[in-house]
Amino acid sequence: MTGRAFALRAVGLVLVLVGCESGGGPSGVPGAVFGGMTRGLTGVNPADARAATTDIDEPEEIELGRAVTTALGSRYTLLRDEPLTRYVALVGNAVAVQSDRPDLHYYFGVLDTDEINAFAAPGGYVLVTRGTLALMRDEAALAGVLGHEVGHVALRHHNETIKEERQSALKKAGFLSLTQIGLGFAHVGGAGDVALHTFAPIALKAGADTTFSALLKGHSRKEEGEADGVGFKYAARAGYDPAGLRDFLQAVQESGKQPAKSGLFAKWASTHPGTDDRLKEQETLLKAQPAGGRRAAARFQQAMAAVPAAR
Amino acid sequence: MRRTTIVAMLLAGTITAPLAAETTRWVERTKVDIRAGRGSFYEIVDTVLKGEQVEVLKSEDKWASVRTARAKTGWVYEAALKPTPIQPGTSDFLKAAPGDISTSRTAASQGAKGVYAQDYAKQKGYDYGIVTWVEAHQPDGPQIEAFLKDPGDKTGGAR
Repeated sequence: MTGRAFALRAVGLVLVLVGCESGGGPSGVPGAVFGGMTRGLTGVNPADARAATTDIDEPEEIELGRAVTTALGSRYTLLRDEPLTRYVALVGNAVAVQSDRPDLHYYFGVLDTDEINAFAAPGGYVLVTRGTLALMRDEAALAGVLGHEVGHVALRHHNETIKEERQSALKKAGFLSLTQIGLGFAHVGGAGDVALHTFAPIALKAGADTTFSALLKGHSRKEEGEADGVGFKYAARAGYDPAGLRDFLQAVQESGKQPAKSGLFAKWASTHPGTDDRLKEQETLLKAQPAGGRRAAARFQQAMAAVPAAR
Repeated sequence: MRRTTIVAMLLAGTITAPLAAETTRWVERTKVDIRAGRGSFYEIVDTVLKGEQVEVLKSEDKWASVRTARAKTGWVYEAALKPTPIQPGTSDFLKAAPGDISTSRTAASQGAKGVYAQDYAKQKGYDYGIVTWVEAHQPDGPQIEAFLKDPGDKTGGAR
């Protein structure tokens, strides 16, 4: 593909991303105008291009996950403890192989903060805080929490958030998009690399910003409930006592510490009833599950021995 | 379950029958890694692209052992395969990727090699080092395999 052809294709992508809705946008600029421009420039039917732009494939999801992880790194410090990271990742992988996306490569890490929280970025990047680990007594609890986070990834909760955001953006045809189109034209005829770095990251940047913001605000209660449910299931399938997640939630309540109002507890933090609801649901699941499963408390305590104390 | 119901569910794709040996399947996703074992942590033996044909040798627990057009044999998650031909083609996202990322068999699990995420981090003033460190400090395949086989200690409180 020549640099010019590539740039034209990229311009089409930006047009579709920021401004094409057949039927017109709120600015009063008819969508057909944008649609016509897109078709004229790229030969791509805007409806097809729109579907392609709002759908997220795995390579894009992985890139988004990396971008969101850097955003989390701007808010928290990564605990660069190799044995601890490896241990958390071993438990995480034990749960992830039992998930609905066992073919995805997952990465696990620990954030160096007393805050009680955990995050799952798209593409399988899962980070749990030191404060969360400090409230656990055994590996089953860790498996439960990591199962919950893996659940968000396996159920593609982020993808739905990003798609909704993109579809909403597509409905807002306006002068901003015209500005961006103008910027696009400024690069047509330039080197392919210039066009690439101008246009292709726009979708990713918007997706990463949306996802990071969504992570901080938290998934919907429905999604959190789904993640609790599959987290329970993945931990049980991995041979753990699935009561681990319930135990952790109880420990949070008993600690009297207020969980962070983001990530794992965002939609529940303000609220004991919220955590009560989650506990109630876990009790219901436990009633249907035969007792047993490993706890691995000794192995967990050994791995935690070197974790820096709360600051 | 009545036979007609089962047939209807098979046709609708809500349940899948185990794959018979030497069945042809087509890759449905943009890129898929073929791995040495049934898990995402096993070594990548080949990467297949959307629309590529593979021969299924056997099927176990939702994973298919396949032979690729390059005569490489490995495991792929069955959900990535379809029983009917798929039009080849990459995604818009990868189409815009630099160098050989979109067209080559760069591992699916590498995404776009971090090119876009690094660009994003640079623009936002974030440190990409967190990703590099996390990716570099995961257990390897044999370590995960050994951990999965280790039942762990039975210590811990009862329910």
